[in-house]
Amino acid sequence: MASVAAGHPTDVASLRSAQVTLAPATAAQEAGSGTEARSACDLAVDLRNISYAYEGETEDVLRNVSLTVRDGEFVLILGPSGCGKSTLLQLLNGTIPHTLRGRLEGEASVCGKPILSTKVASFATEVGMVFQDPEAQIINTRVRDEVCFGLENLCRPAAEILERQREALDFVGLDGFGDRSIFDLSGGQKQRVSIAAVLAARPRLLVLDEPTANLDPAGMAEIFAVLERLNREAGTTIVMVEHRVDELADRVSRVLMMDRGSIVFDGTPREAFSQRRVAYSEENAAVPTSAWFPQACEFALALGDRMGRPVDATGMPLNVSEAVAFADRCIGMATATTQPPAPLSTCPSTANDPAFLRVKQLSFGYEKKLPILSDIGFDVGRGEMIALCGRNGSGKTTLARLLMHINAPPRGTIWLEGRDVADLSAREISSEIGYVFQNPDHQFVTDRVWDEIAYGLKVRNYADNAVAERVGEVLDIVDLTRYRDRSPFSLSLGERRRLSVATMLVLEPHLLVLDEPTIGQDHERAQQLMGLMARLRERYRTSILMITHDVRLVAEWADRALVISGGRLPFDGSPEAMFADDALIADAGLLAPPVYEISKALVAKHPGSLLRPTLSLPLLADTIARIGGETA
Amino acid sequence: MNRSTAFQFRAGTSFFHRLDPLTKLAWLVAISLLAFGAYIAWVQIVITIVVLFTAFVLARLPLLVVVRGTWLFALACLSFLVIQTLTLPGNHVAFHILGHPIYAESADYALASALRIYTIILSSLVFVRTTDPRELAIALVTQMRVPYRIAYAFFIALRIIPTIEEEIKTIRAAQAVRGVVHQRSVAGRIGEAKRYAMPLLVGSLRKASMMVMSMEARAFGAYPQRTFVEAPHMSASGITVCVVMLALVITWYAALGLGYVHSFYILSA
Repeated sequence: MASVAAGHPTDVASLRSAQVTLAPATAAQEAGSGTEARSACDLAVDLRNISYAYEGETEDVLRNVSLTVRDGEFVLILGPSGCGKSTLLQLLNGTIPHTLRGRLEGEASVCGKPILSTKVASFATEVGMVFQDPEAQIINTRVRDEVCFGLENLCRPAAEILERQREALDFVGLDGFGDRSIFDLSGGQKQRVSIAAVLAARPRLLVLDEPTANLDPAGMAEIFAVLERLNREAGTTIVMVEHRVDELADRVSRVLMMDRGSIVFDGTPREAFSQRRVAYSEENAAVPTSAWFPQACEFALALGDRMGRPVDATGMPLNVSEAVAFADRCIGMATATTQPPAPLSTCPSTANDPAFLRVKQLSFGYEKKLPILSDIGFDVGRGEMIALCGRNGSGKTTLARLLMHINAPPRGTIWLEGRDVADLSAREISSEIGYVFQNPDHQFVTDRVWDEIAYGLKVRNYADNAVAERVGEVLDIVDLTRYRDRSPFSLSLGERRRLSVATMLVLEPHLLVLDEPTIGQDHERAQQLMGLMARLRERYRTSILMITHDVRLVAEWADRALVISGGRLPFDGSPEAMFADDALIADAGLLAPPVYEISKALVAKHPGSLLRPTLSLPLLADTIARIGGETA
Repeated sequence: MNRSTAFQFRAGTSFFHRLDPLTKLAWLVAISLLAFGAYIAWVQIVITIVVLFTAFVLARLPLLVVVRGTWLFALACLSFLVIQTLTLPGNHVAFHILGHPIYAESADYALASALRIYTIILSSLVFVRTTDPRELAIALVTQMRVPYRIAYAFFIALRIIPTIEEEIKTIRAAQAVRGVVHQRSVAGRIGEAKRYAMPLLVGSLRKASMMVMSMEARAFGAYPQRTFVEAPHMSASGITVCVVMLALVITWYAALGLGYVHSFYILSA
């Protein structure tokens, strides 16, 4: 292999010019900018009165946004879907307005370069962009090629590129991975490659749009650890949109909240999470901002409410250890109590119906020498809410696909109402088991919402009046009646999700399988979906099997957990028992939810008290309030 | 996680894997030229043997991969062979099957044309399986002076084929769950394609725009040229392979032109 260097870059610095006004500034703005006297040199981001609408759209996605970010800050942006978070990020390297055109008003400069007159490519050495989906943003097939890609485009000498490539991979903990194929890496590793690929250019500002959305908790922890190091040690400024705040709250220096295109809150994380507010989703539904709060903060707020002592920003805990200290202060000097312990269980008890789905000694692999599943066995009864957990690529989706006969299961291993699934067609199974895919768009087969829901009934030859009646009922349940004549693809993501559930629901299946219901969804939307599931369970005794690595979802909704690890099923039991087994959750790439960690730490500190390890935040807050009240 | 397609690059250390992409491209072109020269069965048998030798010995492809990649074409070739042998006219009766005369000319022609198709499919498999599309793209830029934007467009097209294949499989599974039955009739297939088109288009556009943003953010296209840290170059063995293939093609076409090469039945007559 020889090194070929070609061409010489024109001087990028020539593009650095004075700040250009995108729209005439008002007198008030001019006065404001004069008094603030902001220095451009230590400002990574300087946006003034930015409004933006996508090409061909009349409504602004960003409305009068002003924002300055100083070098070295770590900024987290929160907000409901459709609030303009991603649009704001795309402005930070000139993707808006150069690649995604539209109407832009206001002044914007990033790393001292005016957005309007600077090409996207000229930001490559200043701004690194990392997106949600590693599959879509990784261009090359080998790790080293991907990390070298940007510097090669900048025509840097080969020796320098290789040196920086080594440094970048080393920084993200992938030293020695240069020759690996992208296809052989885990999700977390791929996302670390994406970060290394932008770090190689040593950017001043790193911009990340939900970089951990597709990752399991272990992968997420890898990414957050890298970002923290980058911010603390290398001083890189970070601006990031992310829903998984539990592990992030104590790492960021500043939180922004957005609502319908505007920044409605800007402050420290403690200030951000100490007051409940309301924002609005793209469907115009009110969303409590507490939906994005870290669980440690939610816990403190709940406890404060119960104790009648509101928590102010200075006392707001951001992580498990601070929350434990906070609870300790509430408990006061209370120690042992003679009262009987509170009940352990926090979830409704499992139905005792005979199993309608039985999996026995199921082993499966696409190639004989590479088994994906080995000797899996479990039963599902009516009305159960089961979480299927495990690392990315552990075989969860394969198992669900076998249940549906999307992949043919070995004979005699999966029994549905006493019938071998191997003998049933996909259509027969789908009357009994509904499968909600990750991407709702994949499941749509007609051009109209009403037809979409009716489809399953029509292919099963239901009478017209029966179809009309059931479709009407289901449209009502999922709250889509007003969109009955619209195209499924014209709905928002949350609505499309509900529609895909409705298409399954109309057949009144005994079991609904949800494949990663929280991926690409904010917490509030996932909660809405799970609320719908809970109503179904109540109404039709439908069992729910959710494939997920969202531990808060498991803790809040599941009454049983199955763990798949290395193709086997090492655990089948209550979520509490699962989170109590440290070795198991480490092996499955999970992290216990903060409320569990807090309760566990408090139990260790106060042996013999009423406290028990729990997944229920209200129960923990109630118990502490009781102990605190007694001591007071 | 599904079984991967046989027509996909897999890294390896065989002699053929180590050759530079342009040498392998030259080999593929030369094999195709040799195969297209004439419908003469014994020549096609020799070429097939050479390609099989390359596949199993020089490229060390597993038998399973070759079978998986070519069985459908092998079946098609076999049916061509049978149909053409039974239907084409000729002068020299070689033997009879159930009283039906089989002519030497038709059998020779049928075997030659069947093997020719199979050889080209098999040599393409060897090429695709052993050549990293990215290296080929770089070689086209650095050795053939192809503009790098065009070479990358070609490389990315190859790179996303498996992703689209995977997406189609997912859509098919998702729609099967809805009760959509896989159609075999032409009308049914058209309806099926229509149903796949929308989700596939929406997904592909989203992925494509993400790729564009990711590339532009890393200065792709900023300058007329770019650096290639590792560019493949032709080794001594590569030059040897190219020279041998070129000599074979010239000799073969010269021999054909001069009328030195004939079918076996003419030679034995």
